[in-house]
Amino acid sequence: MSITVVLFWFLTALALLSAIMVLLSKNPVHSVLWLIVVFFAISGHYILLNAQFLAIVNLIVYAGAIMVLFLFVIMLMNLNAETEPQKNTWLKLAGAISGGSLLLILVSVIRSATDMTGRTAQVGEGNIGLISNLGKALFSEYVVPFEISSVLFLSAMVGAVVIGKKD
Amino acid sequence: MQLLNILLDASATSNASNYFPIGLQLFFAIGFVVTMMFVTHFLGPKRKTADKLENFASGIETHGDARQPMAIKYFLVAILFVLFDVEVIFFYPYAVNFRSLGWEGFGAVLMFVAFFLAGFIYIIKKGALTWED
Amino acid sequence: MNAIILSAILGVIMMFSGIWVNNKATLRWIALAGLLVLLISNIAEMYGYRIWNVNVHNMLYFDRFGLLFNSVAIGSTFIFVALSGSDINRVGKYAAEYYTLIFFVLTGITIISVYTSLLMLFLGIEIMSIPLYILTGSDKRNLKSNEASLKYFLMGAFSTGLMLMGITLIYGATGSFSIEVLNNPAIAQGVSFLEITGMLFLLVSMAFKVSAAPFHFWTPDVYDGAPGVFTSFMATVVKAAAFIAFVKLFDARMSYSSAVVDWKMLLCILIIATLLIGNITAVFQQSVKRMLAYSSIAQAGFMLFAVFSMNEMAKEGIIFYAVSYSLATIGVFAVLLKMKDFTFEGYNGLAKSQPVLAFANTVFLLSLAGIPLTAGFFAKYFMLASVIQTGHYLWMVIVAVLFAAVSVYYYFRVIQAMYFKTGEGETENIHPGFKTGLIILTVIIILLGVAPNLIINFLYF
Repeated sequence: MSITVVLFWFLTALALLSAIMVLLSKNPVHSVLWLIVVFFAISGHYILLNAQFLAIVNLIVYAGAIMVLFLFVIMLMNLNAETEPQKNTWLKLAGAISGGSLLLILVSVIRSATDMTGRTAQVGEGNIGLISNLGKALFSEYVVPFEISSVLFLSAMVGAVVIGKKD
Repeated sequence: MQLLNILLDASATSNASNYFPIGLQLFFAIGFVVTMMFVTHFLGPKRKTADKLENFASGIETHGDARQPMAIKYFLVAILFVLFDVEVIFFYPYAVNFRSLGWEGFGAVLMFVAFFLAGFIYIIKKGALTWED
Repeated sequence: MNAIILSAILGVIMMFSGIWVNNKATLRWIALAGLLVLLISNIAEMYGYRIWNVNVHNMLYFDRFGLLFNSVAIGSTFIFVALSGSDINRVGKYAAEYYTLIFFVLTGITIISVYTSLLMLFLGIEIMSIPLYILTGSDKRNLKSNEASLKYFLMGAFSTGLMLMGITLIYGATGSFSIEVLNNPAIAQGVSFLEITGMLFLLVSMAFKVSAAPFHFWTPDVYDGAPGVFTSFMATVVKAAAFIAFVKLFDARMSYSSAVVDWKMLLCILIIATLLIGNITAVFQQSVKRMLAYSSIAQAGFMLFAVFSMNEMAKEGIIFYAVSYSLATIGVFAVLLKMKDFTFEGYNGLAKSQPVLAFANTVFLLSLAGIPLTAGFFAKYFMLASVIQTGHYLWMVIVAVLFAAVSVYYYFRVIQAMYFKTGEGETENIHPGFKTGLIILTVIIILLGVAPNLIINFLYF
């Protein structure tokens, strides 16, 4: 096993484990901390795929900025153990069964998909994720979606003012 | 010797293995902190008393929960920060390709910035960032 | 492209007019003028006049179908603002922002009606949804509005997540975002499991967006909790737009029989479940607003027939259905918002106190029920005729007609309350302009009920 394979499995296990812990943690602050671990693991995957820019952006935006928002929300809501609503056991069971079936289908699809056999990920050599190639694609082929996404930001700003501003 | 070669390899080609030194440093930094935390835990003497385990609140007895719902304006600033943070990130891929994209790319970025500037002026005019109200 | 860019710019203009203009009535006029400009520019594009020549790299394709729907959506929004503008102004103090968000929703709608790339579909759906989450929660002091907004946001984000997962799988299988690749018969019939799973994810997320059962659970709460004006907008223009995206996405799936998945059977289950749950639950409602929420689910069941049969008639039909359903529902909601009491009892004796409102409301309800001489009749006719044209599944037509008969019951409950029950029929102050607007809308609906070709002819000229 080469070092890349070892790293891959380590990061995958870390990501899955922390994602499960996000759900299982009773304390919402712990959930957020586990989510940060998930983002770090995914950034590690990006680096393995030689997409360094995406890895850094993932850390700055998600693990940095978005997580701050998450923590703010938790502080806004004043969650205490007593106010936590009790979840229905049957609902949990139904969720587990349907989620488990989805997982089963997805895993079997990916295992049996003929268009996945013989394909390997470009580990450490592909140059699609490099910042210069990303920039070229973003500002030539994908320039229209890029411009349109600014409308999304504007509506978020308007929404922040409408919902968040004290009046 | 091979390890040394990787460390000395400062060529400009982008490759995941270029991150090896950074990873190494990260590993040592985290490792140092974790080790120190454990070592102090084991070496230091422990005398637990009820007074020592109390939360320190400048000598006053604690009462109630420290978690108070905070003002929404903190959140407003935070969410606006995220929006502009994302905007700035879009500049990096442009800056790297500044020359090759030419005027067309410049126009695209200018339009994007113009939309954001409109949003920024709107926020200022609406007084979303004024602290005292 | 005219409508996409112009609606974004008009949104920015509305944003700033909120700073400089303090009078809410003026804001409404600005919004109406903006919508008119938007409508004209879009109709101009149908005739080949383009203001901007943008290289869209094959991500958008401006065909007659999409552009006609854009005109319908913008026109319906115009009528919506003209009729219910005063109610928008009453929701809260941010009137200019509400209009801004409506313009941004229109940006999203104009994208998803002409997309040819899944990336654009995703972006359009997001631009359409995010302002709606905000509009749902715009009645800040009302806990129900807050709950509806949060519920809508969480469910919407989840379904968007499923959509992204689907797009990812499709990209993994075909290496492309283009729906032309997806609609390639070889791929549509083929056995690439990754791609089929991706399409299934897209089916679920689109069914969620159009609130088809069993993905409808958010709809009643959100439609009930949101401020009534925005429910009207959500249930009409936005829902119809989601259907246009749905039709474009599943074009090839329904046209070629696949060796692995019986897409028609899947759609069949969705339709029957939607019709059943929408109609049966609507019967038991006490609040007219909630009844309309369930009836919008039932109407979605009818619109799904367009996706199901997927022939020329279905495509004509979905546009016509969008027009008739949007106009009638906007009218019903406009009257509802003027009522003091949203229950069926609140309508008692409306025919005595407000004869014009009662008559117009009757026409809108008849159109929703699909009674001849109204637009709704031809809308349902086109849907069912398209199914008959496929030559199979005749039993579905019979089931649909049965459910349409059920729907007559709950629509007529309102008419019965208005005409045959005694009561105050209390309303807010009715402006004469509002009555004129209702009469114009009534005339349009009857006109379309007599001559549906007025709309459909625009597809071919």
